Amino acid sequence: MKADQEQSAKPILKGVNLVLKTGEIHAIMGPNGTGKSTLAETIMGNPTYQVTQGDILLNGESILSMPVDERARKGLFLAMQYPAEIRGVTNAEFLRTAINARRPDDERLSITDFLQELNKNLDLLEMDQAMIERYLNEGFSGGEKKRNEILQLLMIKPEFAILDEIDSGLDIDALKIVARGVNSMRGSGFGSLIITHYQRLLDYIVPDTVHIMIDGKISQTGGPELAAQLEKEGYKDLETAAK
Amino acid sequence: MTTFAVNPEMVKQLTQAHAEPLGLARRRNQAYQLWTDSTLPEIRQFKFRNWDFFDPLTIQWQNSDPQLLDQTQVLKQNQGLVQFGQTTTAVHLSADLEEQGVILSDIFSAFQMYPELLEQYFNRAWEQITTDQLLNYNNAFFTSGIFLYIPPQTVISEPLELQIIQDSTRKQPLISHCLIVVAENSAVTIDEHLSTVGANSNQANLCTEVLAGANSQVKFAALDELAEATTFYFRKQALLADNAHIEWSVGLMNSGNTVGQIESRLAAPGSRADSNVIAVTEGQQQVGINNTAINEAPHTVSNINQHGVLLNDSQLVFNGIGNIIHGAHGSQAEQKNKILMMSNQAVGKANPILFIHENDVEAGHAASVGPVDPSQLYYLTSRGIPYAQAKRLVIRGFLGSVIGSVTSKATRQRMIAVLERKLQRE
Repeated sequence: MKADQEQSAKPILKGVNLVLKTGEIHAIMGPNGTGKSTLAETIMGNPTYQVTQGDILLNGESILSMPVDERARKGLFLAMQYPAEIRGVTNAEFLRTAINARRPDDERLSITDFLQELNKNLDLLEMDQAMIERYLNEGFSGGEKKRNEILQLLMIKPEFAILDEIDSGLDIDALKIVARGVNSMRGSGFGSLIITHYQRLLDYIVPDTVHIMIDGKISQTGGPELAAQLEKEGYKDLETAAK
Repeated sequence: MTTFAVNPEMVKQLTQAHAEPLGLARRRNQAYQLWTDSTLPEIRQFKFRNWDFFDPLTIQWQNSDPQLLDQTQVLKQNQGLVQFGQTTTAVHLSADLEEQGVILSDIFSAFQMYPELLEQYFNRAWEQITTDQLLNYNNAFFTSGIFLYIPPQTVISEPLELQIIQDSTRKQPLISHCLIVVAENSAVTIDEHLSTVGANSNQANLCTEVLAGANSQVKFAALDELAEATTFYFRKQALLADNAHIEWSVGLMNSGNTVGQIESRLAAPGSRADSNVIAVTEGQQQVGINNTAINEAPHTVSNINQHGVLLNDSQLVFNGIGNIIHGAHGSQAEQKNKILMMSNQAVGKANPILFIHENDVEAGHAASVGPVDPSQLYYLTSRGIPYAQAKRLVIRGFLGSVIGSVTSKATRQRMIAVLERKLQRE
């Protein structure tokens, strides 16, 4: 698949071929500006990116012509690097709306079930009850925003989740908590693509497969040991090799 | 049934047909003269000179049938008053409050029963010789209205509900004058609700004055949802004594053309006004609002906060006017005027207007006119929320700061319900 950003019309992804299956966790690592986030945003359908070539299939079905909300209801989720702040809409209200959006009208989640599930997940992520009545991401610290992304992941329970640098700006304790949340989703019905700069996150969420992305392409694929090797040697050699 | 011709005699007949006291007759006469000599108020960048505001020939005394009201237009548990056209259909005030000296009645009964209070307070919020032709018209011809008096040292925790319902089942203007007096050290929350029954094309003119005594606290929430066929003028004005505080939370959800003025006069040291307004305009609707705060005395604080959402081909002008008078040192005047454009065909303007005649003050303003933030829509839709619903959530969020300032949960929910209804129609 190839994609570029609309305004500058600069090609960013230059041929990415990936197959993700439920039950698997893949990690994509790579230096800054190689297109990792672009890949995440393109799969989700961010309208500022345009796919110029190739296709994205979900369960054999092309999602390229689907709007963002439809992709999400088909089972995709993106934990964003920079979540938007939305004033006047509480976290709780937003979560219920998002959960009910993927259910038929006569199968709405009851408030009791919702609160039960919510409390369980707040406990798991060591989040304060008060968070749920706060406006969506408004005034949240960087760490609170990341946890809130994972809270949404746990509540919405998508089939595939792309986690875009959920470790950035987290201290080690917060990182462990976020990893605990993601690991709780692991299972045969869930697949994930984790985007990160650092191996550190992968110590806590151990991936099945690691991909290295350089200059808009996947340059290398391997097991978790690839991440460890990268941590030791850095991207320098790989970048030189790619050129 | 009495009808009047447009001449000074008609005011006399109006007052005679209603057996009004001499004081009121004198006031009507004076206002009639002022009406004929004055001009429409100025709303910067908003044209409404050719609107049809005056039709004295349709003014007459007549009753409205309370059977026509629906379930939302009666008092449930709340204390308050309901007025349908010129007919007061319900007054509910606890024995406890009555004993404390709280008065809640229609304005004409008040002129009969409490002449000294009316003499002291009526028309005190604005200057005695006003140049506002629409206010003068109201003072000459008002045929309904409410009087609320909260005596000193009286704190009322439950909101008082004032329902004003325009009777448009026939050709008849709503001309209502409300007087609210909150004496020193008292506190009250008022929930005003304005609606229309019937589909006739009519005018509405509602002038509300609030006199806030020393150290008083007044929270005034208003939800206006007049019908499309109503041409509406309103003026809401507060005069504040020492350390008095008024908080306006006004939801303009009318469907028809509207011109309005909200004005807070910080006339004594330490007084404070927070003036929050939201408006949603739709269809061909045109709405122009002046939201004014006058810092007349030292150490006074004013905050104007206006948020508007424009749909379809509508037009909305928000003027925030801050006026710090010479001598009002140590005062603050802040304002925010924000407009969210949901359509390319709509015309929205947010104008901060500041007059500062004193050095030792703080004043600031922010204004913005723009479309919905696409990153917010992207975020919400990425969680599976359909585009249209995501848009409604963002709009509600945009208006949330004002909706959140409404104390009464019922009024807040009602505001949200009206808003959702408007947005669903889009």
